[in-house]
Amino acid sequence: MKFSLSCRDIERYLGEDESRVHALRGVSLDIAPGTVHAVVGPSGCGKSTLLYILGLLDHPDHGSVMLNSEPASNLSDEELSRRRNEFIGFIFQFHFLMEDFTAEENVMIPMRRLRKLSEPAMRERARELLEAVGLEGKLRRPSRHLSGGEQQRVAIARALANDPGLILADEPTGNLDTDNSHRAFDLLRSLVREKQKALFLVTHNPEIAKACDWTHEMQDGRIMVTVRHDQLSNLEPISPEI
Amino acid sequence: MTPPFYIALRFLSHRKRALLLSLSGVVFGVAFFICLQAQTRGFAEYFINSTLGSNGALRVGSRFEPRQRTSLVPPKTSRTNVAHRQYFEGITNVSEIMRVSRQFSNVVACSPILRGTLSARSGFENATVDLYGIEPALHLQTTDLSHQIVDGSLDDFRNKPNSVVVGSRLADLLNVEVGDTVQLLVPGGQYRRFLVAATARSGVGAIDNTRMYCHARVAQVLLRKPYAASMIIYKLRDRDRAPALARHFETLFQHGASSWQEREESTLQLFRTLQISAAITVSLVILLAGFGIFNVLTMTVLSKIREIAILRSMGYRRVDISAIFLWQGALVAVAGSLIGCAMGALLTWGVSKIPIRLRGLLSTDHFMVAWDWRHYLWAVLLAMISVFIASYAPARRAASLPPVVTLRGSSL
Repeated sequence: MKFSLSCRDIERYLGEDESRVHALRGVSLDIAPGTVHAVVGPSGCGKSTLLYILGLLDHPDHGSVMLNSEPASNLSDEELSRRRNEFIGFIFQFHFLMEDFTAEENVMIPMRRLRKLSEPAMRERARELLEAVGLEGKLRRPSRHLSGGEQQRVAIARALANDPGLILADEPTGNLDTDNSHRAFDLLRSLVREKQKALFLVTHNPEIAKACDWTHEMQDGRIMVTVRHDQLSNLEPISPEI
Repeated sequence: MTPPFYIALRFLSHRKRALLLSLSGVVFGVAFFICLQAQTRGFAEYFINSTLGSNGALRVGSRFEPRQRTSLVPPKTSRTNVAHRQYFEGITNVSEIMRVSRQFSNVVACSPILRGTLSARSGFENATVDLYGIEPALHLQTTDLSHQIVDGSLDDFRNKPNSVVVGSRLADLLNVEVGDTVQLLVPGGQYRRFLVAATARSGVGAIDNTRMYCHARVAQVLLRKPYAASMIIYKLRDRDRAPALARHFETLFQHGASSWQEREESTLQLFRTLQISAAITVSLVILLAGFGIFNVLTMTVLSKIREIAILRSMGYRRVDISAIFLWQGALVAVAGSLIGCAMGALLTWGVSKIPIRLRGLLSTDHFMVAWDWRHYLWAVLLAMISVFIASYAPARRAASLPPVVTLRGSSL
């Protein structure tokens, strides 16, 4: 699904009274299909806040978010939820799988909400996605019985469940060892390339940031530097096995 | 299956201990409500049926005439009209009143009775008797006397004019059995002997303590009454319409008429009070069950904050999150109500088998229970309302949780 997302002059304050922080100060950004964006910067610089606003989970205090060229700032909870479900896939550092559900059921949760597929079709798609992330033998395993790397791969499969145009990842490899984090990133990047999706990720890993098409360096709520990396060098996987 | 229902089902099935706790509260609340209502209603129904089976649903009594009013201003209420009546003892036109009243669709049967009070003696025992002079054939059509016979035979009573049917507890008082004789003191100071043809037990203490049946013509002689009946009792198709029919009969026949609801008002009020009191007590159990569910669901919301945030990020709306917790409550309420109804029925059946010897207001040898679908309906309704209220606050809280706060908090 072709997808575009942009934001203009985003301002966001967090907290109340004395603890009020100016988290984002006039951030503007364009995310085109087939591109991988990394946001780097010190803790508390506003990376995650920007990600949640782009993911329609949070509202900016000022500025606008355009989703497929439509303003998304004033939409109702119903509409925002529908757009999140249809166009956006989230991956978090701590996976956030539903503990009581199996790997397959976790992947089916977004599909159930979208209601476009029948139960067998949802099951079949979940199986395909889990196969794609190398978990074909662990479909029926409860998510709490999976290793950290496996859980993150289930989270990736779940983020792709409704074939969203944009994948937002908040330190998706932050909780993984080097090998697993490289594998996870390469998997995401190849999916973005193949299916012309967009990936926007927050990371502290300089290797991963360098492997993205765009790196946005943030400080004190502002994007200080945006670097476009060489497209050819980015075609190389950062994990030698893949 | 909607996504919230599916998720609710999974949440519930993975918290078995909490589920059992919530479920058991609803099950016991519903079951106790049903069982207690069945008992209180059972005794009330037993009293009503026994009273109607002996005294009829409606009674037409003495003739009245409106008194001459001295006031120039006419009275406004019917109560004032009653106060201005002059009564004349007895019914003289019995057959005419019975003929007319039989034409009412609600009237099944009617029976004239000549009633009076006499002293009875047997051996050294004495007792005051409420004598009912009856036409056996008509009386058996109107009352349950044939089912109330505990000893002896009604045929003997029918065939022997000098026989009587004695209330079971009156027979105990006089120390007489079937085949014995009992002496009745007639006005003038003479005793007349009667054969005890049968003893009857209505189940109502006040009746069984004093009631004695004899033939109407015999009663007329014994009581020295110039009229054939002092009242006519009626068996009705719809006993709940007795008050309306009584008012109509009063106007029509110019005789006093009273429904069973008026006659037994104080006892019925006692039963009603007991029933309400029991309902309130058991409703508290159901409310406590609701409180338990509130606690369990609140704990679930707290333990599922992360899941709620992730569901929101996946496109689940606030209303979906709310529905997940309301569905959990609803599932507990439905399952609890179904099991509670079955358990309530089982308890009611068990209670009905408990032997108990009551010889007071009512006479019975076992617990009386009423099988009434309305008890089940009320119990289920109460459980549903209680659980809905208990689920609503946690559901609202879950829906209002801002996902970003949870996600941001977890990533720190």
